[in-house]
Amino acid sequence: MAVVGALPGPRTVTWPKALAVLLLVAAASLIVWQRAYRTVEMMLAGGLISLFTSDGVYVASQRQTVYFGLGSETPFGLRMSPECTSAFLLLPLLLVGAVMIALRPRISRQVLVALGISMVVLVLVNQIRLLMLVGLIDWLGTDQGYYLGHTMFGSLISVLGGAAALVLFVWLATRQRKVK
Amino acid sequence: MSLPVLLGLTQALALTMSVAFLTYVCLIVVPYLRHTPDTPGDPDDFDWHFLVPCRDEETVVGGTVRYLLDSFPRAHIWVIDDDSEDTTAAVVDDIASDESRVHLVRRHRPNARTGKGDALNAAYRDLRSTLGSDVDGDRTIVVVVDADGRPAANCLEVCAAEHLFGDETIGAVQIDVWMSNRGTLQPGSSRLGKRFGAGLVRMQDLEFRTAIAAIQMSRGLTGTISMGGNGQFTRLTALEAIADENGPWRGALLEDFELGVHLLTAGWRTGFTRDTHVAQEGLYSLRRFLSQRTRWGQGTMQCARYVRRIWDSTHLSTLGAAEMLYYLAQPWLQLLGTLVYPIPFLLLGMRAMGDPNEVWSWFADGAWILFAVYGAFGLLPFLIWGPIYRARCEPSVGRLRSIGYGFAYAVYIYTFYITSWRALYRLARRRNGWVKTRRNTERAVTVDH
Repeated sequence: MAVVGALPGPRTVTWPKALAVLLLVAAASLIVWQRAYRTVEMMLAGGLISLFTSDGVYVASQRQTVYFGLGSETPFGLRMSPECTSAFLLLPLLLVGAVMIALRPRISRQVLVALGISMVVLVLVNQIRLLMLVGLIDWLGTDQGYYLGHTMFGSLISVLGGAAALVLFVWLATRQRKVK
Repeated sequence: MSLPVLLGLTQALALTMSVAFLTYVCLIVVPYLRHTPDTPGDPDDFDWHFLVPCRDEETVVGGTVRYLLDSFPRAHIWVIDDDSEDTTAAVVDDIASDESRVHLVRRHRPNARTGKGDALNAAYRDLRSTLGSDVDGDRTIVVVVDADGRPAANCLEVCAAEHLFGDETIGAVQIDVWMSNRGTLQPGSSRLGKRFGAGLVRMQDLEFRTAIAAIQMSRGLTGTISMGGNGQFTRLTALEAIADENGPWRGALLEDFELGVHLLTAGWRTGFTRDTHVAQEGLYSLRRFLSQRTRWGQGTMQCARYVRRIWDSTHLSTLGAAEMLYYLAQPWLQLLGTLVYPIPFLLLGMRAMGDPNEVWSWFADGAWILFAVYGAFGLLPFLIWGPIYRARCEPSVGRLRSIGYGFAYAVYIYTFYITSWRALYRLARRRNGWVKTRRNTERAVTVDH
């Protein structure tokens, strides 16, 4: 006896798998196009810095560098290196998200929302780190401000922000929906 | 891939894994520290059957059986002799001749020595046929105890509590595990060997009573409390529900965790309690300790085959399934860690060899803070368990010594990076046999397969 209705339709099986593959492709793309990602990240940083300063701000896209304090006595340039970008911090989330969708297709939408929000948080955390660095350089000068901002406070923001993004991702992706 | 990209990638992976672990530790500490004892129940509401699997256990089994008889006057004790080459069977037979509550289940090669799960299944079948079909399986509790195990005298009252077997949805309960020989020096070894052995046992005691207990208590929230083999209580109806033609235990080296997976995916809930404990001998020998942990690591790797079953189960929440996936991923993450963590240091070393002055001025000008921050985040998740051990388990330990325990625990945990690689090697060579960990009093190596 064949129970046709019990067989899963192709749509229910295929699209979460395709989505999982898409997330893996996105993860790989972040590695391949990390330079382009860093450029966008620095353009965003340039826009944010110019909101807080009356001095000139310039983004050198080709070098993934933002110059600020232009016109002042202490102009400074910050380059987004592969070690400082948020691109690679997004990778684990994308990989875990892909695994979760592949293993439990019914939570695909929930995982995607969780991914979107936690990835935005990670990007914002890196922007906050840059803004803090710019603020410290402006306040304490190039040497002290840069080293304090880049090492201690920068690391603290990365760790705390990373923890917040992870908790947010796990909470949003796994929380039980109330049955109406 | 260029060196800066490789550096950025490995740093990001290392940061994510460290932050994930740090966050996890913060989350599990809270329920552990907030725990208060629960009201015990009436053990007379249940029938209790202890299963004691033995293979060459003549040095310890007699004492264990007598302890169980004295401590639990209504309980039955089923000793499984897995074709021992010593006098284990004779020791138990001798006690059984005077005591009807002691039952000896004998196994013989080629059907013996095929794993702890098979040995427990043999006892389960004997128990099942002895009890007959009229037995009230809901009121019958099967307890697995190691041959050197000493369940605390209050364990039946605690497990009979309303929130444990008093709740009919609970299929199994795991109790806390202590090391009976903590603070005891190993006789016969050198002074240095004694101190090292005592330290190793202390670390095992600390690990089980703090970190593992905290993980189990947090699993109460995710609904994924796992079984630990020793001090493992299971309701007979739960065992019946998951049994196949051989019995409820399957063939993985981590047969206790595997049993828990089958119970949880069948819809049973599991419990854990710190209100009672089972004491077992901690290992003094680093070699034996590494063998034991290799077996556990390999068992965890074997249980990866249950990932699909766990995620398909409608009885497990996504959070629960994610927690179990994280647990099953641990040996693999440790393998990844041994590859990823050294890369930034190697690249830094290469740069330092090329231009030592530049790297030194970079380090002295402020990069040392970076190392201090990451060092602190790497150490703190382990370090905290020392003072917590003093606060919650062993108040007689001095404050400074407890901090020392925390540092020692960090070193102790790093042995898992070794055992995970050994486990992978054994898995790749298809060496899936049961490597019995020798007791401290045994001399001969007993290795199967």
